[in-house]
Amino acid sequence: MSMRLGPQPGEVIDRRAEFTFSWNGRPSPAYPGDTIASALASCGVRVFSRSFKYHRPRGLLTASFIDPGCMVQVGDEPNVRGAHRLVAPGMEVRSQDAWPALSLDVKAVNELARRALPAGFYYKTFMSPSWLWPAYERVLERFAHGGVVGGVESERDGPARYDKRHAHPDVLVAGGGPAGMAAAVAAAGAGASVMLVEEEHQLGGHLRWGGKPDLVALHELRELVESTPGIEVLTDSVVLGRYDGNWVSVLQRGLPHVDERLVKARAKSLVVAAGLIERPYVFAGNDVPGVMLSTAVRRLVNLHAVKPGHRAVVLTSNADGDAAAEDLDRVGVEVVHVEDARRGGDVVRVRGRGQVREVELGDGRKVPCDLVVTATGWTAAVSLLTMAGNRPRYDATAARFRTDPTMLPADVLATGGVVGDGTCEELAAHGAATGEEAARRAAKDAAVGAAVSPLSVEPHPEIFRGCTHGIVDFSEDVSSKDLFTAVEEGYRSAELAKRYTTATMGPAQGKLETVNVVAIVAEATGQTIAETGTTTWRPPYAPVTLGALAGRPREPRRLSPMASWHERHGAVPLLASAWIRPDHYGDPAGEAAAVRDGVGVIDVTPIGKLDLRGPDVARLLNLVYVNKWSKLEVGRVRYGVMCGDDGVVIDDGVTGRLGDEHYLMSTTSSGAAAVWEWLESWLQTERPHWQVHVTPVTTAYASINLAGPRSRELLQRVVEDIDVDADAFPYMHVRTGRLAGVDGCVLWRIGFTGELSFELHVPAGYGLHVWETLLERGGDLGVRAFGVEAQRILRLEKGHLIVGQDTDGLTKAQGAALDGLVKLDKEDFAGLPELVWQEDLPDGARLVGLRTTSPSLVPAEGSQLLDAAGLICGRITSSRLSPALGRSVCLAQVDLSVAEPGRELTVRLVDGGAATAVVTDQLAQVDPEGVRLRG
Amino acid sequence: MAETVVRARSPIEPPPPVVVVAGWEVSARRSSAELTITDHTPLAKVAVKATWDGPVAETLGVRFGHARRQEWPTGESSGSVLVTASAPGEWLVLAPPAARASLVTWLEKTTENADELVSVIDLTHGRALMRIAGASSADLLAKECGLDLSEASCPDGSALRSAVAGVAADLIRDDLGGIRSYLVHCERSAGQYLSSSLLDAGLEFGVEVAGFELPGI
Repeated sequence: MSMRLGPQPGEVIDRRAEFTFSWNGRPSPAYPGDTIASALASCGVRVFSRSFKYHRPRGLLTASFIDPGCMVQVGDEPNVRGAHRLVAPGMEVRSQDAWPALSLDVKAVNELARRALPAGFYYKTFMSPSWLWPAYERVLERFAHGGVVGGVESERDGPARYDKRHAHPDVLVAGGGPAGMAAAVAAAGAGASVMLVEEEHQLGGHLRWGGKPDLVALHELRELVESTPGIEVLTDSVVLGRYDGNWVSVLQRGLPHVDERLVKARAKSLVVAAGLIERPYVFAGNDVPGVMLSTAVRRLVNLHAVKPGHRAVVLTSNADGDAAAEDLDRVGVEVVHVEDARRGGDVVRVRGRGQVREVELGDGRKVPCDLVVTATGWTAAVSLLTMAGNRPRYDATAARFRTDPTMLPADVLATGGVVGDGTCEELAAHGAATGEEAARRAAKDAAVGAAVSPLSVEPHPEIFRGCTHGIVDFSEDVSSKDLFTAVEEGYRSAELAKRYTTATMGPAQGKLETVNVVAIVAEATGQTIAETGTTTWRPPYAPVTLGALAGRPREPRRLSPMASWHERHGAVPLLASAWIRPDHYGDPAGEAAAVRDGVGVIDVTPIGKLDLRGPDVARLLNLVYVNKWSKLEVGRVRYGVMCGDDGVVIDDGVTGRLGDEHYLMSTTSSGAAAVWEWLESWLQTERPHWQVHVTPVTTAYASINLAGPRSRELLQRVVEDIDVDADAFPYMHVRTGRLAGVDGCVLWRIGFTGELSFELHVPAGYGLHVWETLLERGGDLGVRAFGVEAQRILRLEKGHLIVGQDTDGLTKAQGAALDGLVKLDKEDFAGLPELVWQEDLPDGARLVGLRTTSPSLVPAEGSQLLDAAGLICGRITSSRLSPALGRSVCLAQVDLSVAEPGRELTVRLVDGGAATAVVTDQLAQVDPEGVRLRG
Repeated sequence: MAETVVRARSPIEPPPPVVVVAGWEVSARRSSAELTITDHTPLAKVAVKATWDGPVAETLGVRFGHARRQEWPTGESSGSVLVTASAPGEWLVLAPPAARASLVTWLEKTTENADELVSVIDLTHGRALMRIAGASSADLLAKECGLDLSEASCPDGSALRSAVAGVAADLIRDDLGGIRSYLVHCERSAGQYLSSSLLDAGLEFGVEVAGFELPGI
């Protein structure tokens, strides 16, 4: 049966374009502008969902975003607010969590067990025997409420899209009703940039469903907003929270290309114009479909042209309830009776199951009807003000909690229903004055502004609960009886009663029920509402998806200039911090062998590189490295290790002297940023008088390591103005010059792999050119690209440590077998006192080489080492199979007591087995004398 | 096969057609879109470090937080350069690609007798640089950068350092012909990522890639 009315003056539907969508598999008609709920209601649908605990049938209560009776599944999206989401052609809407059907839900048997499921039952049941918990869990899972994620065919094209945006409005107005609109216009008129945020799909607040004067005012205000420059309007958007310094998060919905956008706004002034929320009346049967708030009725009739019922009884205690009755009468709903609570009228109970059948009034009369409308009071939406540090106080005259605007922080103002009452003109005038003041404060105008005259507050009867028990929290199925029970059990405060019963903890988050909860707890305890106080509103004000909080995936990636070559040649990528590096090209052992036998090239661009200039560079190097640097000559390179103030190794690398006051420092790739900060920290705080400039040049150079016995041959084919003969370019020296037609290259003769090698630093834009030139010109030498894995094998064979792998957060220099490098006779350097102390200690850890007695066994890195007594005495830090040696090579951190060469240790393997390993004489197990390196 | 003519490459993959301009591989694409992103990595980028308020600062003539064009007699290719000062005591001078060597030489000579420590460092290859131009360029950046880009806080000629799409970047407002425009540069290795992020953010504004054209500044 169609409940659609004829055209209404303020309707938001577009009757020119009817379409269909499906509801539980059946086609239903709708117009653009309809919400899912209004479209279904126009078709006579009364039951939209089942309640949380007892699976009672639920209909529309508020017909707004916070309506607890209309949460539905739309495609693969669960828990959609059906009374807010606009319906779209072809949309597939389903009811949630009812089986086998909404009309016949088996889980409704829960209501029979109501006595066993009082408030807090889960603290008392499903406890013992505890071994049955897996069974309890399966039972409880079946009663979890809500829709389904995944497993449902989506109408959407592709995954959901979310993003974020930053904004810096002078004034942010939260709420687009008459006061909010007027505030925005006034603030913009005063020169402020304004962001106006409105939760509904249109601006206007309660004016939208009002009478003719309201509609006229609505259009005037809307036109003002549209025609005033400097106002950005966000509808279908909600302010989620207000944080320190007026950092405000706004969730924007309904964008054409993005599902949800999180707007991070830093507002100079925040104007809260969030208005009033109508609250339900608590009585028996107040959750039967057909019991609605007056605002729900007025929305359905005036916005969506939907008749909410045929025969209505209205319980009213204010002008809005009166107006609802008039609206119903106007559109042909038989208003059978108006019960005036201002004159002592009351509703005792409603009877019906799937819909209202009859209402029993306070005087005992029973009136058959299918619609019961209540208008028993308002709750000020003070959440944002609470987040700004304000504590609302209960005003018995107005029967609601209110904020004192004079107690707000200077950058937060409030206007409209949230602070008082008035006609549309009065609300707009207050809004305008507030907007002007907000703009003045945003501009930090020192002139004293005119005080904003407060709005008056209309008296309202205190009506919260009738003489029967009913539902207080519709989302959580918490009744007033549950609250009384909680108080009886000792939960006598609003906060405790809330947590014990879960009242106000559902999807509406207290907007509908908080004041009723407080009033009922007060009633149960014998205190006043003011004495009972309220709970605390915290962000987010409205539900927000994790997707919106996450935004678009943001994973910075760093690429070397040769990255495209690696990809084309089948490199397996390795994610190292944000760098994408080539791990290998299919045969790491073969790549390592090519380096040992001929020549290989590896992309080492991620190595940190810092350009150091100034007369005090040597002093800085002496300070941050454990060894000595004062006598490093121009053209020489030296290896250095850095320790923190605690003596723990933090980084290593080589530094070359390019000129009298010019050095190039290398660091580990993962330590580049940290070392830069470390140096700057010393220079800016501890040694500000030292003259040193540090400039990161890590990616200004493409870095290529050319390694192997034939590397010099290959280098000679590309270098143009540098003599790279062994005598002219010895080990641990640096040269600059031209390579493959590229000027400004830096060449180091160093070696991490243990072979003759050169590290080439080329201006990055030419990196690919030089790389490809090397490979082409070295074809007859068998040149081969090798990746990080091969490099790890080679350096491990050579016994070269990797900071952070072979050391940890406790490894001091001695523990990393770097004793020979540490010059304790230096005047001072970072970590000196700790290292001096460590030198005399008889214990500690030590980095050693290990060889398994079973040659082919390669223990996993991290494997524990046990001493003869079976006690843990260390761990393996690096482990690989050596192609050169045909056996495993390992480095390990072990207790000093077991570090002597020849000591046998037990390796605890991953599979629980054990193996034997022997401490080697030296860390290097290939060419320990370094002959190949220095060739 | 290795190329015989040495050409420099930006970290940002140029959309086809690709040509070589001033020794750099660049895109030859042209766009009439209202919002464009152009890879300006080929520009010469020379860093100068000195005391923020010393004699070199006076020579360079641009205060911290600002950017300004200067006309310097840097050599054969002398002309406009854009001096940016995104950090105290740090300047980055942007010039046409061909002016790189002469600019370095000119800066070294000009500052060699300054009574303070001065470093002139060629960072041409160390930074990825993009220009975002169009009326909605600030709207695009607002999706990736938390800075207040309003006229009051970031007028034409502002130079700032912040995070853009999660990477440390310098942002210079450099309007062209009255059209709002920003230069964004980050360390080179993150250039492709930053470019892709900005293009993605700009899709809703109809952003298009435009190719590099000389002089570029």
